[in-house]
Amino acid sequence: MADQEPHSPTTPPTTGRTGLSARLLGGGIEPDPRFTLANERTFLAWIRTALAFLAGGVALEAFAGDVFPTVVRTGLAITLLLVGMVIAAGATTRWIRVERAMRHSLPLPLPWIAPVLATGAAIATGIMLGVLIFR
Amino acid sequence: MNARHSAVVDPGLQPERTTLAWSRTLMAFVTVAALFLRWGGEHGAVVVLLFGGAIAVALAIGATQRRRYTHRAQAMGQPTGQPKVGPAVALSAAVVLLGAAGLAVILI
Repeated sequence: MADQEPHSPTTPPTTGRTGLSARLLGGGIEPDPRFTLANERTFLAWIRTALAFLAGGVALEAFAGDVFPTVVRTGLAITLLLVGMVIAAGATTRWIRVERAMRHSLPLPLPWIAPVLATGAAIATGIMLGVLIFR
Repeated sequence: MNARHSAVVDPGLQPERTTLAWSRTLMAFVTVAALFLRWGGEHGAVVVLLFGGAIAVALAIGATQRRRYTHRAQAMGQPTGQPKVGPAVALSAAVVLLGAAGLAVILI
């Protein structure tokens, strides 16, 4: 997205912006609306990822029954819920940071929620496999 | 969606794709809501609150889809995109609260 044709708006920034948006996005030059929408869709994809973790935790607690010892099952459900919450919070942070970077023509920030996602999924899957195999 | 509102058509269909992304997110909330109902047997009537919370978010998204699509379609071709922070912050907060409520029900 950042490597598309450079966008050179003629109108300067931020007039008419009010409240929360003004405070969080700060100055800079309003980016091409298409980039803003792309950022929004990426944000929504992260939110759905967070919801998938929530759904995983809820489903584990609801359906896993006696497959796992209760402590392990509840512990895993809690872990998945927590990872989902962290990703959801990180999604907004990232949305804002990307929006800010675009407004100042800076390189887009790296997504730190990506390693959270990978680590969370790997740990949860690892524990589940381990318990299923060795219990 | 309502093409009459968009004077400028974006060949990349970005407003439409963004609206569809919101629709998928809405359905994800419905899925989570339905899963929460499965806790009823173990955790009792409190799960209705979890279900209701997730459904409320889905309804809020659904009720504002058309208005927000129109806003996006009109922003196409304008020099300014006017991103709104509010919906993003609210959506994240909703997911975090839903997760926290789920944690509370498990732990209490």
